[in-house]
Amino acid sequence: MDLLIQLTLNGLFNGAHFALLAMGFALIFGTTGVVHFAYGPVYAVGAYAIWALAALVGLPFWLAVLLGIAFTAALGVGCYLFIYRPFEISGSPPFVVLVASLGLFIVMKNLIGIVFGTGVKTVDSVAYDVHFVGDAFFTTVQVGQVAAALLVGCGIALFLRASRYGKAIRAMADNREMATVIGIDTTRLSMLVFALGSAVSAVAGALVLLRDGLNPNMGFGAVFVAFVAVIVGGVGSLRGAVIAAFLLAFVQSLGMWQIPTEWQNTIVFVVLFGFLLARPSGIVRRA
Amino acid sequence: MSKRTLFAALVLSSALSTGALSTTALAADPAVYKIGGIFAMTGASPHYGKVMSAGAQLAVDEINAQGGIDGIKLQLVIEDHKSGSAQAAVAGMNRLIDVEGVKAVLPSFSTVTLATMPIGDQKKVMMINGGGVSAQTVGTSPYMFNIRSMASDLAAGIAHRAAEQGAKKLAQIAIKSEFGDATIAATTKAWEGMGLKMVAAEQFQADAANIDTQVAKLRASQPDAIANWPTTPQAGLAVKRMRELGMKQPVYCMEWTAEDTKVAGKHAEGVEVVTDYFAATEENPWSKRFADAYKAKFGEMPDFYAANYYEGVYVIAELIRRAKAKGGDYYSGERLVQALWENPTFDSVYGKTLTFRKNGVAQKPVAVFRLENGEQKFVKFTTGE
Repeated sequence: MDLLIQLTLNGLFNGAHFALLAMGFALIFGTTGVVHFAYGPVYAVGAYAIWALAALVGLPFWLAVLLGIAFTAALGVGCYLFIYRPFEISGSPPFVVLVASLGLFIVMKNLIGIVFGTGVKTVDSVAYDVHFVGDAFFTTVQVGQVAAALLVGCGIALFLRASRYGKAIRAMADNREMATVIGIDTTRLSMLVFALGSAVSAVAGALVLLRDGLNPNMGFGAVFVAFVAVIVGGVGSLRGAVIAAFLLAFVQSLGMWQIPTEWQNTIVFVVLFGFLLARPSGIVRRA
Repeated sequence: MSKRTLFAALVLSSALSTGALSTTALAADPAVYKIGGIFAMTGASPHYGKVMSAGAQLAVDEINAQGGIDGIKLQLVIEDHKSGSAQAAVAGMNRLIDVEGVKAVLPSFSTVTLATMPIGDQKKVMMINGGGVSAQTVGTSPYMFNIRSMASDLAAGIAHRAAEQGAKKLAQIAIKSEFGDATIAATTKAWEGMGLKMVAAEQFQADAANIDTQVAKLRASQPDAIANWPTTPQAGLAVKRMRELGMKQPVYCMEWTAEDTKVAGKHAEGVEVVTDYFAATEENPWSKRFADAYKAKFGEMPDFYAANYYEGVYVIAELIRRAKAKGGDYYSGERLVQALWENPTFDSVYGKTLTFRKNGVAQKPVAVFRLENGEQKFVKFTTGE
């Protein structure tokens, strides 16, 4: 029973991390239609930037996080303007943009290794506590992951529902051509969602820096989970992506209760295939 | 035969003989002796590639500075297996043999060594592994040699160490890989062979950063001791997680690098590492000279991986020397292997000499180290067989 409680808690905390990643990816993918695989290395670069500001420059961690988030947002916008936007202008088919995204993924991943080195990066200046509930445990960082997912999720939902830009983003996500016809500046909105989505990934990156440390390959797992969550959740649905992220985390964690842990990643694929077969439009179907 | 035909025949035979002679001359004395290295230069565990290639390169540089082998220089040609990609390793091995013309290769990682071994066997290229520990690399090819202790040796050493410290129930955690599988199997055999109980064996993917589920299951199995088999950097991450969860059991590893110490931080304290014993000491001048040169060049002390690949290059150089002394078309994998079995003993940077056993594995001293203030402190020698 103790193990079950622990695995449930693990599912909750990992789900929060996955949800943060999925929200950023879903925002970009759902609005612009760009399968932004370079989201993984953008997330990694953001985390490395925070590490560099905290460990090398010596800034307080909270300030490093704020600057890192701003930097990552700018990096996301840069990806859009310099990589994807030219393809949009030239009317390139989606698969060309997809290939460009994969190319960008590889370039950025290798650049991380060249610039920061291939070793693991950790921050020693931030200590965190471990808490026990009965025999189950969790850390302050994990609580931070849940809090961040809640805050970011609520913030994005509020932004999309209540603000002028948010409504415009929703309109663009529904029908880009119609949004253009009614005078919405889709280029500016694309820049905005790339900035927002990338910034969200930096929040996840900051917490992972504290929890596990950084390595140049961390981007793949991140974009993989985010992509699966968006597909399983239903493309275009932020709520669906969040639900799917938690679902994946709980399946990954609780699924290991009675089966060997070596199957952990396989289970994600099984869930993906199962959903694609049974419910191709995902958990949340859009009208 | 007309004069013209005779002339043509003479020219042809002259050309053929000249060509044949020059071919023989080329085969006998290459412009440079190229040694292949298949290392983890990128991917999840580039630390290994860094230290292994550094050790090998240092040996090449030292030998070249002393004039090479009878005036012919050595050259290390590195291929990247991206931290365990069999596909990349096979491509690299083929390139080393077919394009670079190497006669000896230093592979690393169990998966990579196993993937490239059939190619070495088929193309008769000598292979000296100083990194992978899989028992499957032993005794399957006459061209395959191991210059480090195998998983079975180290697992036995760890099982003995854990048992002597009073453990009755052991739990294991490993990466899902050839190395992980081999190590779990070897440890289970050694542990259960002593009549003790294995309570858990958890595995995870090589690129996993989050291993909370695996650690939670380890904790739930309530072991007396933990055998921690992941490689860098997950070995450090696993220890960090275990300690954060309040797991105070002794932790034993056979792979631990400075990267792991960095990842685990204060939690690395007290972890025990049972592995090949390399220590730079005054009593062993070569080890001291190597360590000093390594530190001067790369800014850090060498670990046993660097020592293994450094030593591997010296073994190959010595084999080339011995084969050349015998004359003929000496520069081939077959002749290098033949030279090894004629005398399987070599000077060792570990101290004194190393001798390849009949199964192609060099016996090395296996020792227990304990991590104290981030440094591996020697505790004792242990049973390594």
